[in-house]
Amino acid sequence: MLSFLYARQSGLDDPVRLRRAESTRRVLSLELNHNRDVDRIHGNGINTLDIEVIDGRYMLSGGSDGVIVIYDLENNSKKPQYTCKAICTVGRSSRHVHKFSVETVQWYPHDTGMFVSSSFDKTMKVWDTETLKPAEEFQFDGNVYCHHMSPVARKHSLVAVGTKDPKVQLCDLKSGSRIHILQGHRGEILSVRWSPRYDHILATASTDSRVHIWDVRRASGSLFTLDQHNGDKSKTSSEAVNTAHNGRVNGLCFTADGLHLLTTGTDDRMRLWNSATGENTLVNYGKVVNESRKGLKFTVSRGCSPEFVFVPCGSSVAVYGLHSGELITMLRGHYNNVDCCEFHPDYQELYSGGKDCNILAWVPVLRQPDIEDEETNSKRVKHCLYLYRSAGLD
Amino acid sequence: MRKQLNKEVAVFKSRMNRKRALIADTFCLTKRRRCAADSVTGESQDIRSSLQYLVTLFSRKLFNDSLPPVVLKHQLYSLHNDKTSVDKQVNELRETGELLMFQLGFDSEAFALVFAEDYRAKVLQGEAGRGTLGTVEKFLTKLIPSCSDLSFNKEKMLKEFLFTDSEITQLVKSGVLTVRDAGSWWLSIPNSGKFIKYFIKGRKAVLGMVKKSKYGEILQTELEGRRTTSQVKFQMKYHIHDIIGAELVECIQTTSGTLLRYVDGNVN
Repeated sequence: MLSFLYARQSGLDDPVRLRRAESTRRVLSLELNHNRDVDRIHGNGINTLDIEVIDGRYMLSGGSDGVIVIYDLENNSKKPQYTCKAICTVGRSSRHVHKFSVETVQWYPHDTGMFVSSSFDKTMKVWDTETLKPAEEFQFDGNVYCHHMSPVARKHSLVAVGTKDPKVQLCDLKSGSRIHILQGHRGEILSVRWSPRYDHILATASTDSRVHIWDVRRASGSLFTLDQHNGDKSKTSSEAVNTAHNGRVNGLCFTADGLHLLTTGTDDRMRLWNSATGENTLVNYGKVVNESRKGLKFTVSRGCSPEFVFVPCGSSVAVYGLHSGELITMLRGHYNNVDCCEFHPDYQELYSGGKDCNILAWVPVLRQPDIEDEETNSKRVKHCLYLYRSAGLD
Repeated sequence: MRKQLNKEVAVFKSRMNRKRALIADTFCLTKRRRCAADSVTGESQDIRSSLQYLVTLFSRKLFNDSLPPVVLKHQLYSLHNDKTSVDKQVNELRETGELLMFQLGFDSEAFALVFAEDYRAKVLQGEAGRGTLGTVEKFLTKLIPSCSDLSFNKEKMLKEFLFTDSEITQLVKSGVLTVRDAGSWWLSIPNSGKFIKYFIKGRKAVLGMVKKSKYGEILQTELEGRRTTSQVKFQMKYHIHDIIGAELVECIQTTSGTLLRYVDGNVN
């Protein structure tokens, strides 16, 4: 650590390098902390979490009871012991609450004045955060499994919606109408995701074991589908040709730079794809237990090197190295299945929610202050001198 | 109860040590660079030697010496940590024509590996004296150094390999090809039906042994020492590498050795 600081100070290293090393160290030491708690409001399982990107201060959660809660994650109490308070709730008593389980919530990517929620009651509602009333409501024919707004889009404000219908719908927030339908899947759409790199690239995953990548500016079909065998038709039985997984594909996540896409499927596998060519990078994560009948929400770390994937696996969260496929650790703490997890990039914290109605905050362990005494002091001075000398020789 | 607690403590300690090692790695990049240089040359030798070790575990006399020694790809995962590099090296060996990979019918993810020389020797041995010998030889010469596919379709057989329909029938009869669906065939090992039958039975029996143990877990050394039932025809170690590599049991490092814990939710 000291060598990193010295190198940054003297200009030998890029400032990013120290930041990345420290972020990685923090992610590797994630643990449950008894000082940090999240208010328990939901009476039923938590399906989805979203942290807003502007400040990283407010978190939305959607539950199986149709309730939506907003939490304040910032600690203004000047005490280490802090409970993230629920600022406001769209509870069961509200006139506009969803009738059935809320599957996905997402903050409007550009400010926290608005958020969108979609639910099994076949509606998607656009809420005004101040008044907690829906400004817009979209009706669909089947259960809405997921929706996503592009985090980088400036030119359009399209929301991609995945429902029981094999057609992916694009709804426009500016006009309030459904303007586009993407045809190509043959099963229910379990997950949709916009690319964080280009505002016109969309990935969709479905129960027909296929993942399509779309360019929404094109009128014709998808750009390509992801093939787990990279076109090597000989490797598998003929029904499984051109599929991304050998079962339902129920989770999608782009890496922060948008260059890679992760998919999880009910064949207990997770695959990493090159998002530009659709090539399977063949990173082998081993068995990633996945029994979810609807979408699985997992996340990738940001600002670390190497990056980590946090996947809910049964009642724990598994942490894998993104490019090595190695299982780093399992975060155990929930009492029941974990359904969703969300990474806070500024503080390297992970929030996970599950069927046990708890949201757990996984916080990096701080470095322990050393107890000063004579012997260690002199040893440390010698060690520092050695580091300075070796850094000078580099 | 105390044994359970001690095991949990051991698991926690080992996990902490591994995490500490990873954190130390992040800040000691020079050490990592040095280690990486050492291990690059050592690794590919390791896969070949692991394959040869697993080949010794295969019981030849069970099949009256008619089968070449078969190793499953996921057994290698139990010997090496990094699955991605194992996959890469296996693919390299397949490209050079040293290793052949087969799709076994019972699991879409289970691949069998056989050394090309062994395969060729056994197949020709099995074909000796039969009319189909010539066709099989021709197929083997086309296959072994250059082609690393798992299945072939009609076009490829007719155009690229220049086989006639009757020759393809002969190949299917001799066991080198098995039907995949109309107009395409899997590459297969002749007489491997018995192997698959014994393998599946043995795997189920070994998993049953782990499941029936107290708490659904057993030390690996204890399992190796157990008396095998009549269902288990292969060596115990062969099956153990298989169930660890296929992640049908969880491998936990404890102070008394490796513990194998049955993973719930297996369909087997």
